[in-house]
Amino acid sequence: MESFLDGTLALFGSYHATLIFFLGLVGGMLFGAIPGVNMLTLGAVLLPFTASMNPTEAVMMFSVIYCAGVFGGAITAILFNIPGAPENAPTCFDGYPMTQKGQAGKAIGAAVMCSAIGGVASAILMMTATGAIASFAIRAFGPQEIFALIFFGLAVSASIGAQTLWKGWLSVFVGLLIATIGTDPVAGIPRFNEGSIFGWEYSSYYLSAGIHFIPLILGFFAVSEVLSQSVSISKGTRERPKASLDFPSLSEFWQVRFTMIRSIFIGFFSGVLPGIGATLAAFLGYSQAQRWSKNRANFGKGELEGVVASETANNAATGAAMIPLLALGLPGGALTAMIMGIFQIHGMEPGPLIFINSHDLVWVTFAAMFWANVAIIGLGWLQTKTVVHILRIPFRWLAPGILILATVGAYGLRNLMIDVWVMFIAGVLGYLIKTTGYSAAGIVLGLILGELGESAFAKSMQLMDFDPMGFFNRPIAAVLLGLGILAIITSVISEIRGTEVQKALMD
Amino acid sequence: MSERFATSAEPAAPPFPPEDRQGNRMETATAARPSQIERFKGPIIEWLVWLAIAGFAYWQTIYFAKDIVGYPPGAAGWPRTICILMALGATGQLLYKLAGHDLAEPAPAAAKETHTGAHRVVQRLAIFALPFLFLYVSPWIGFYVAAPLFVITLMLLLEVRSPLAIAGVTLIVYALFLLLFTRFFFVALPNGRLDGFYEVNNAIIGFARMGL
Repeated sequence: MESFLDGTLALFGSYHATLIFFLGLVGGMLFGAIPGVNMLTLGAVLLPFTASMNPTEAVMMFSVIYCAGVFGGAITAILFNIPGAPENAPTCFDGYPMTQKGQAGKAIGAAVMCSAIGGVASAILMMTATGAIASFAIRAFGPQEIFALIFFGLAVSASIGAQTLWKGWLSVFVGLLIATIGTDPVAGIPRFNEGSIFGWEYSSYYLSAGIHFIPLILGFFAVSEVLSQSVSISKGTRERPKASLDFPSLSEFWQVRFTMIRSIFIGFFSGVLPGIGATLAAFLGYSQAQRWSKNRANFGKGELEGVVASETANNAATGAAMIPLLALGLPGGALTAMIMGIFQIHGMEPGPLIFINSHDLVWVTFAAMFWANVAIIGLGWLQTKTVVHILRIPFRWLAPGILILATVGAYGLRNLMIDVWVMFIAGVLGYLIKTTGYSAAGIVLGLILGELGESAFAKSMQLMDFDPMGFFNRPIAAVLLGLGILAIITSVISEIRGTEVQKALMD
Repeated sequence: MSERFATSAEPAAPPFPPEDRQGNRMETATAARPSQIERFKGPIIEWLVWLAIAGFAYWQTIYFAKDIVGYPPGAAGWPRTICILMALGATGQLLYKLAGHDLAEPAPAAAKETHTGAHRVVQRLAIFALPFLFLYVSPWIGFYVAAPLFVITLMLLLEVRSPLAIAGVTLIVYALFLLLFTRFFFVALPNGRLDGFYEVNNAIIGFARMGL
């Protein structure tokens, strides 16, 4: 507690540190909310300038950008069905239908409160148990457990956004297959970059680098939504969403308290593990909320609980992601890797000794993340009151801007025009997917987790001398695999029972 | 389903057609056959499409199916497993549908289409084609020239007819894009290969970065 108060005093006792704190906060929220750019863009732009900054302030600023950026992405997900980052994708499922029903204010209000609550809870857990959690996670989680966790995550999240379980799994398989394009993780052999189709030979440098998930996300969510709305305009069927400013009531929050608590633990647990991060946290949080909810039939149609689950989980992962970074020097994602870069620029080495050698830096960072999440409530409220008015602008005026931003966002990733082609092709496919009941989210989930899953599987098999039963000799991996298999079996049974009930009702 | 058939099996004139185990008239089942075929045509086509995708991907793995020392599955092991799972998943989906479990959720009542006609179809096709045309011409005439043309064309396709709105939106989008991506983030967008356009694009970039 004393260290936390010292950190808070150091943060707000200096005009310079306070200014950097608020710049990071506002910057993260804005960049998270602009389609086509995200907190990583801001981080990449600011990284070179950290060389001339005090390391404590630099690390603090990036931590604040991380918290604010994960929240900021929810705004566009709710208003336009465009997730600011992959971890906001599940927020679209219910956030955007709420906007269409004239409940945008309620959805954003829930995102503000739940991001703040998830983030604050995560920061408290981080402050109290960093050392213990880090050493447990790293000792107990090897490649086998990582693979088992990914399997479990896919097993419980596969049907998200799909009409049936089968369509959900097929969507995930497409994502997993797209993830294999590029190079194999064991020997670096190029895959699907050259070959022959009935005598027509093809070869592509682009494919040897793999298909990046950002153009696909922009295509599946942003471009397909613009196409869908444009077609509605041409059919004369588009209804303009109302710009409502109603916040969720306290009783509504009270009704979803268990969802919030569950999502905090899911988010924190997923965030601690390097490479897993906030994306799986958000998908797991959402799928578990749907599984346990009394209103599960309303999920995907504008259920507040869906927004609560995904936004609590993804922000709960932010504090947790700092644990392996600070305690062991293992960055879990792109932004934490940038923070690792700041340490290197300043000749510092994160690890157990950082708590002794750089005590001030650690506690200023912890305090900044705590207060950033608290500040999200105030700034998020202000942002809600202003940003909802964007809905008053006719969609015909917004559509060109969204497409230009998405185009530059996809191109700017690697300066490749083909990324933009991939985005627009994904946009058309996303439009078709909407009409056939398959899940764009499932494809994105498979794509994001595919590479990591294959890598963990290959390492596991090598460690276990290619004996698959070795997974069951490790308790955590065995439990996760068992739960994953159980989740698949129960979801198949409930799918069949569900249609039986539906059939009986129709008869 | 059986209940529905049972209720529809009203007393029929002799000779009575044979009954199945549930007491349904076989005639009823026979009469339903053409619609059943129609009903399963879609799922079978869907299954064939999935098999084609999985089969094609599996076929292409032969071009990188190389052995890796100390890793018997090799480079093709993982993608081939996914192809097999995809084929199994598609087959599972087909069997599930053939077993009569394909009752999709009833679609929400669609709003009545008020704009119809051939020109509307052309409009929709143009909406889909425009982004690809924009991508095709961008490397030739440069992104800085193509972007405002794209914005104006899209707005016209979306039935914006007010010159003020078209000019205002184009100006705002273009100014924000230049400020954010060209001036602050230095995104190196294509600046055209054709004579004339290259110079125009560079002039716009120079203007956006004036004073830097």
